[in-house]
Amino acid sequence: MLYIFCPHCGLRSQNEFSYGGDATVKRPALNKEVSDEQWNNFVYNRKSPRGKHVELWQHISGCRQWIKVQRDTVTHEIFKTVEANKEI
Amino acid sequence: MRSMSPLQNVHIKGFYGDYENKDVKNLIKVGEVKDLLIFQIVKYKKSNIKLEDIKIDNLNLSDKPHRVVFSNETRILWIGPNNWLLTSKNKKLITNIYHLFNDKDFAITDLSHSRAIIELEGEDAKEVLKKGCPYNFNELNESKCVNSIFNGITITIDMIHDSPKKIRLFSLRSFGESLHHSITDACLEFGYKNI
Repeated sequence: MLYIFCPHCGLRSQNEFSYGGDATVKRPALNKEVSDEQWNNFVYNRKSPRGKHVELWQHISGCRQWIKVQRDTVTHEIFKTVEANKEI
Repeated sequence: MRSMSPLQNVHIKGFYGDYENKDVKNLIKVGEVKDLLIFQIVKYKKSNIKLEDIKIDNLNLSDKPHRVVFSNETRILWIGPNNWLLTSKNKKLITNIYHLFNDKDFAITDLSHSRAIIELEGEDAKEVLKKGCPYNFNELNESKCVNSIFNGITITIDMIHDSPKKIRLFSLRSFGESLHHSITDACLEFGYKNI
């Protein structure tokens, strides 16, 4: 079983969390021209890295807060977790 | 209109499971808690109001994780950052709550009829919960609360007493019957009494 450290609640089982996608994707700036390619990259295209990856998770059955998790996609080791509005 | 309790169809009084040749005092007691006032209190991120300035039933909102502040009739559970669950037997609090929490700083939601509440009492109460919940129950002490899951059902656990162990479980009303089945299934080996 994978355990994730929630910055608000402490160490909890992965069962209480919901995966929320890649945390490195940035939305194109507002009120500026956006090309189709930029929009496609934002909405659809994702990298599938091998190794450390920063992800969004929600502690849906706990404090219901979104958090950022730095996880190794090969070993599933979790290195760091922070609140969603902070940078890893 | 008559209100129906969420567990009316499943919570039937009596002895169940492996209760024979055991002292009735040592059996787990499973009860349904009805007629409780339940409010969710959410403080907006932009609010500058100080929590110390607010008192409900002489209780402050605590920003310490998993802390429960309580009086004889009222308990206020921390369920997330700037998020509390107020439970009370005192129905008169309704008017106070709407008066105390202005809508610029707080979102108040009445959840009184949308939760099923099961109370477990007995020395093996934690052992029952360990069967379906991944939380480390060694960390759960008196007047502490925690949100977790039990057999896939999201629940709020409120540890009311440590000795004798008394634990209150809240789930969404629609999951109440399923939670009751799961909890009573887990109680069978200890023997339990529905009260």
